[in-house]
Amino acid sequence: MDSQKPDFSSPQRQSSVAIGIILIKFFRMTIRAFWPILLSFFIGRRAGSTFEDVIGYVVLAFAAFNLIGSVLTYFRFYFQIENNSIVIDKGVLKRTKTNIPFERIQTINFSQNIIHQIFNVVSVEIDTAGAGKAEISIDALNKEQANALREYILAEKELLVTESSDATLTTDVEIEDPQLLLHLNPTDLFKVGISQNHLRSMGIIFAFVFTTINEITNNIADLVTEQFSQYEKYLVNNTLFAFLASAILVIIISFLFSLINTLLKYFDLKLWINKKGLKLVRGLLNREEISINSNKVQMVSWSTNPIRKIFRMYTLQIAQASSTEVNAQKSKINVPGSYKQQISKVIKMVFPNEYLGNEPKHRISPQVISRIFLFSGIIPTILGLSAWFIVDQKAFFALLFLPLSFFLAKLYYRKSSYEINEELIRRNQGIIETEHVLTQIHKVQVVKVTQSWYQRRKHLASLKLYTAAGEMSIPFISLAEALDLERFILYRIETDKREWM
Amino acid sequence: MTTNFENLSVDPKYLPGISDFEFQSIHRDHLKVSILSSILFFIVVVAAAIAIIEFSEIEDKLIGYLIGMSSIVLLFCLNFIVAVLGFKKKQYALRQRDIIYTKGLIWSVRTTVPFNRIQHAELKQGPIERIFKLNSLKIYTAGGQSSDLVIPGLPEDVALNIKDFVLKKTAEDGQPKA
Repeated sequence: MDSQKPDFSSPQRQSSVAIGIILIKFFRMTIRAFWPILLSFFIGRRAGSTFEDVIGYVVLAFAAFNLIGSVLTYFRFYFQIENNSIVIDKGVLKRTKTNIPFERIQTINFSQNIIHQIFNVVSVEIDTAGAGKAEISIDALNKEQANALREYILAEKELLVTESSDATLTTDVEIEDPQLLLHLNPTDLFKVGISQNHLRSMGIIFAFVFTTINEITNNIADLVTEQFSQYEKYLVNNTLFAFLASAILVIIISFLFSLINTLLKYFDLKLWINKKGLKLVRGLLNREEISINSNKVQMVSWSTNPIRKIFRMYTLQIAQASSTEVNAQKSKINVPGSYKQQISKVIKMVFPNEYLGNEPKHRISPQVISRIFLFSGIIPTILGLSAWFIVDQKAFFALLFLPLSFFLAKLYYRKSSYEINEELIRRNQGIIETEHVLTQIHKVQVVKVTQSWYQRRKHLASLKLYTAAGEMSIPFISLAEALDLERFILYRIETDKREWM
Repeated sequence: MTTNFENLSVDPKYLPGISDFEFQSIHRDHLKVSILSSILFFIVVVAAAIAIIEFSEIEDKLIGYLIGMSSIVLLFCLNFIVAVLGFKKKQYALRQRDIIYTKGLIWSVRTTVPFNRIQHAELKQGPIERIFKLNSLKIYTAGGQSSDLVIPGLPEDVALNIKDFVLKKTAEDGQPKA
């Protein structure tokens, strides 16, 4: 097995490290499913010593069950290559044999968590095209073996594809060495961390804290009042101070949270690029390797926010066609901290160059401002003000929401536009952030024209384009424009003989 | 060569406007199907409302029933009106290279799927549709669930014809699948 040429024609087991990795996976699954119960047991331990014993046995039983399970899983997992397809034979209670022909394999991705890294093994994920959830993964494989496996499969696949199609397409494609396009150095990583969306981190933290409290005690309100009543005296005298202090604390915590999160996720990010596609490696504890074929790319988008703009940085997102809905999130790769020229290099590689000129920007109808203002400004304010009469005079503050929502609606209108030429369509949008999405017209799968009751009266419409990696919508354009676009896009899809994937 | 969008609506040979097309209405019995299924749905809602009122500690049950039932009846009437008026909006058209379906009284939606982007087409028949011998044609694309096209209220033979036509067209127009 460790020889120069690994042989995959006979059934192979995974690397023996897999036992440990499967075991940890099982533990994590159990803990994730039962952690509230476990936590409340530990907190409510004072209930009595016999009870404590029972818990101990339960935990022990779980551990033993997991251990046996992982050993059995390991010994009942074989993979081999047979007749140009990869065969996985696995399962302890429910035995399954999955057979995936090479030509259906789309990507082979590696990832490494910290244990993988220590033992120099990788987990392999083989993703297929097709509606079913025919996706297989191998928990742990020696790095050399995994590389050999991937190279073998991809080479054989190439051979199969060229055999079936015409001979002109054969190996004349010079396989150039991948070029390192982007390497996130510590300074850039830090900049990315600073410019994360800290409000989202705050939201995640709040959600986490509240669900945790909710799992432990069933009455948040009681807990909060109980906690706060202790500080009541103090609070009465120092309301402003307490408020400021807790606000600052929350801000610092969410800032640190997004910083650490960024560090863990994007540490030592490297993006390689060549004619055939992109390869991305990233992560500190959990090192992921993702590769994308350029013809599978459906959409490229880049976005920035006010802080990131200071650093002239963008978040590049490359969305590829995914086999299942579940995978939709996984099939989008995010590269934060990319600079303009790197993005344009990726775009040039993915989309045909001659169409990448500047096109005139088409604006959407300014009527969108009044609509957003009505639905997210006036109506909530009226609801807030009606609370004024019922509950408290402080509801008067709801009036502040009016100018804010008007301002945001105005921003939305100002940033919203689209650009189109024969080959590409680009949408620019955002409120605080700014996002640009670019796709090739022939990759659109479905076109929808929608009109609300209001839009019908004003002769407006919205256009929605669905690709295999998400949708693009152009809201509030004139009906005539929407119909022209619909007609043109359909014409382009229906006459384009190229494959969209 | 790049061309601006403005220049492109000129090519009338390939660009038949949607208005040039005869839209087909779906079978009239489909209205009965949708009304029947909304009646069934509201029966369940009424049952749930009764259960809630009976088993909860509401002191004045009469008022509970009055409010609950009147709002349910109101919703049902709205639903009924929208179903009847919206029925006329449910139309489809088959063109040379794509299939179109329109619907929606308040929110109108027109979905167009080019034949060369169809992955799969199938006929479906729910229990109520079976009574009226109607079928729904469901067309799957790679655009995800929210973009799948469903044309309800098709008689068996029409549905089969359309499905065969669509699949034939897909095979002709479509590219070789990897």
